Amino acid sequence: MVSFNLLWNIAVNGAWIVSLFGVLVYQPGKKKALLKREQASLISCGANALTTLSTPSKKSEIQGYTVLVANVVMSPSWIQLFGGWFRAFFGGRINTFSKLLEWARREAKQRLLEELEASDYDEVINVRFETTTLTKSKGSNDKTAGFEILIYGTAVKY
Amino acid sequence: MTMPFSNTETLPGSTIVQSHGVVTGSTVRAKNVFKDIGAGFKNIVGGELKAYTELLQESRNEALYRMCAEASQRGANAVVNVRFATSSVAGGAAELLAYGTAVTVE
Repeated sequence: MVSFNLLWNIAVNGAWIVSLFGVLVYQPGKKKALLKREQASLISCGANALTTLSTPSKKSEIQGYTVLVANVVMSPSWIQLFGGWFRAFFGGRINTFSKLLEWARREAKQRLLEELEASDYDEVINVRFETTTLTKSKGSNDKTAGFEILIYGTAVKY
Repeated sequence: MTMPFSNTETLPGSTIVQSHGVVTGSTVRAKNVFKDIGAGFKNIVGGELKAYTELLQESRNEALYRMCAEASQRGANAVVNVRFATSSVAGGAAELLAYGTAVTVE
């Protein structure tokens, strides 16, 4: 059937155009919004709110503590995936993926900071990052790819 | 059943008197197939897959709950040095593991 083939071609090519839109418009917009949130929380809780040290920065008595967890699942767009495979063929730095991972880590960190702001705790100590690849099914036609960034730490109150 | 837990080696403001060994809690969860299809569409433009973010958050809470349950079974009253690990085991399913050392604190 000719009409079905035509529709199929439009759908597949349209998806690539949508993917281009994602890279050029959607993702930069999200990054810009993230930058604004980061600047806002830099003013409200300072640059030293998170630390990887296991001891609090102040020596005073600790009133309370809790574990705060934040996570984000990010996925590269089709164009970024294709570019990544293309670069992996020759080896070397895959810039699209490293940018995406950096963005996801910033997002996760920002979410932890916002959880800290929403609670009445002062500082998060012993912060740890975890990265996991999430793919749906290997070897199948399904190309959903994503990775999870997890950040957690102990929030303390002075 | 929530008991105090922390990812530092000691609990602030209390001392550890007895250790009960490593406790773990794990869960494998999957989102429904419609959310998977939605995530597949979101994958075209890239960016955050909110369905999976929520899924992992919920399952992580359950893993923590199971870890605390095991700790209380052993007679501990707190868990220290809690760590998380995640792995994808099958299509759309992820295993969430939380582990730590069960202790008695005073």
